[in-house]
Amino acid sequence: MVLGTYKEIVSARSTDKQIQKVSQDGGIVTGLLAFALEEKIIEGAVVAGPGEDFWKPEPMVAMSADEIIAAAGTKYTFSPNVMMLKKAVRQYGIEKLGTVAIPCQTMGIRKMQSYPFGVRFLADKIKLLVGIYCMENFPFASLQTFISEKMGVDPKLVEKMDIGKGKFWVYTQDDVLSIPLKETHGYEQSGCNVCLDYVAELGDVSTGSVGSPDGWSTVITRTDDGNSIFQQAVEAGAFETKDMANVKPGLDLLEKLSAQKKDKNQKTIDKRKEMGLPVPF
Amino acid sequence: MSERIVISPTSRQEGHAELVMEVDDEGIVTKGRYFSITPVRGLEKIVTGKAPETAPVIVQRICGVCPIPHTLASVEAMDDSLGIEIPKAGRLLRELTLAAHDINSHAIHHFLIAADFVPENLMAAAINSVSEIRKTAQYAVDMVAGEGIHPSDVRIGGMADNISELARKRLYARFKQLKPKLDEHVDLIIGLVADKGLPKGLGVHGQPTLASHHLYGDRTKFDLDRFTEIMPESWYDDAEIAKKACSTIPLYDGVNVEVGPRARASVFHGFKDTGVVAQHVARALEMKSALSRAIAILDELDTSAPARADFDVTGTNKLGIGAIEGPRGLDVHMAQVANGKTQFYSALVPTTWNIPTMGPATEGFHHEYGPHVIRAYDPCLSCATHVLVVDDEDNSVIKNEMVRL
Repeated sequence: MVLGTYKEIVSARSTDKQIQKVSQDGGIVTGLLAFALEEKIIEGAVVAGPGEDFWKPEPMVAMSADEIIAAAGTKYTFSPNVMMLKKAVRQYGIEKLGTVAIPCQTMGIRKMQSYPFGVRFLADKIKLLVGIYCMENFPFASLQTFISEKMGVDPKLVEKMDIGKGKFWVYTQDDVLSIPLKETHGYEQSGCNVCLDYVAELGDVSTGSVGSPDGWSTVITRTDDGNSIFQQAVEAGAFETKDMANVKPGLDLLEKLSAQKKDKNQKTIDKRKEMGLPVPF
Repeated sequence: MSERIVISPTSRQEGHAELVMEVDDEGIVTKGRYFSITPVRGLEKIVTGKAPETAPVIVQRICGVCPIPHTLASVEAMDDSLGIEIPKAGRLLRELTLAAHDINSHAIHHFLIAADFVPENLMAAAINSVSEIRKTAQYAVDMVAGEGIHPSDVRIGGMADNISELARKRLYARFKQLKPKLDEHVDLIIGLVADKGLPKGLGVHGQPTLASHHLYGDRTKFDLDRFTEIMPESWYDDAEIAKKACSTIPLYDGVNVEVGPRARASVFHGFKDTGVVAQHVARALEMKSALSRAIAILDELDTSAPARADFDVTGTNKLGIGAIEGPRGLDVHMAQVANGKTQFYSALVPTTWNIPTMGPATEGFHHEYGPHVIRAYDPCLSCATHVLVVDDEDNSVIKNEMVRL
């Protein structure tokens, strides 16, 4: 299945005005983790918080909804959230943990839960894993290249970054700038080229903008727990939802992009195998 | 006529050692010798020439039973050599780690001696009690020090991180809940040891006790000038044993000593009893002191305070000393750092102190009590590889040896 196993797919957005203001699209990750925290389904979450360098995120353990909201918005470079999971259940004392991860991290977390070497007593404490769609991820230096070299903007002025409609977008106070996505090719992490997962197939819930209108996100619920938490949040009014059949561009686009990633990267994998090079799976 | 009784390796202890007892016609031990037969592993050599941060990570692998004291003694030695003053929260968290580990380790010992003291009808209850205590104690070590076995977060300069308010409150609650359970456990063990009716005076010896602190350890109470170390050749009056013995003989004021819970109780709490029963009682009571201290620390700890000091690893080649009171006694690590590298490293581990005292402590009683005397010290010698070759047909043991590499 091109979208992995799932229970339900809907288009949704957070009803919280504060979250809508800071979120990337529908505010699903922020809204769902904040809801789970307030309902005591989780006691804290490892999220991509602000780092020392502008736009270079650092993993942080958020233990209040405010801290989660402060970490809202997509960062297009890696936040090593997985390394903070252990600290979250150790020094932070969290026994019910949530986190957000891109597909490769999601795979890492699931593998870690199955083979917990060096991470004893962590597996059963992860209660909510929110996966985000990801075509590729850029090293911090690549982002700097796009912004300061290709667009000629001081990264400190950037308020939001986005990928959509075939372009990489940067929003400043005064301008909206973009470069064609084609120009970003070759700047992604090399591991992205052998990754077959676009829609975080191992998350409890996966989400991303693709398939839904602006300001909304496409939510895929996958596990019993993930589905139940999302439904509770919808019933509590934290999210409003629309049937995927009634939104544009719709599920077809999500399926198309997922299939594209799988096809393209399978070719890279086959090529590497042919050359006798290792592939991660 | 004298006969020689050899127990090798001695059982229900951590690691491998040999007890050789000369006995008279009545079976009474006239001469007892106890010595380590675990080959030298050279961990101190491995860390020499490397960055100081390497030492705590490597030397904690001396043992999987008491890695906490080794880690703490190592970082304390490095702190001392590098002239680091650790923050108060870091010190409290280190103490908390050790207190929790003490409770865990003593509980393990109760499991090891269960076959000696616990009647069949109480066995399941006693072992469940040990497990429950260990679960809570190890939960605390996991949380505070990163890992229950080989802790990753005890660092030079303090601790990697302070704990959160949630963790502090959670641990406080767990330890409070553990208190009645632990009190009951301690009463059970002390009662069962008394019920056994071991002969009066068993394990009593005339050697002094050595302890630096009632729970944590204090390098100022370990005087290097009063310490000497001799080779087994000049200690054991039996050439074969002297050759086989694998550890040096540490002396304090020129004599062998006893370290451990009874030593701490006698130095700091005026505990007068001696011998096997006294050792078991002191060990059990120490679990209570450790728990009270852990609860007091969690009450006092400021979770917003820094837990680690900044430091420079260059070093001045000062001989740093880390003295930690491990569950089995005083654990001293010594380190010198210069040019950012460890120049010298030496670990003087708890059971090494006790080894020369334990053999003679078996004297004057029937040799059947020998293992009781040995186990009362909760000896921990580094572990070695043990190989059994079993016949597939009839399960008989064809070969049973310790591998010497």
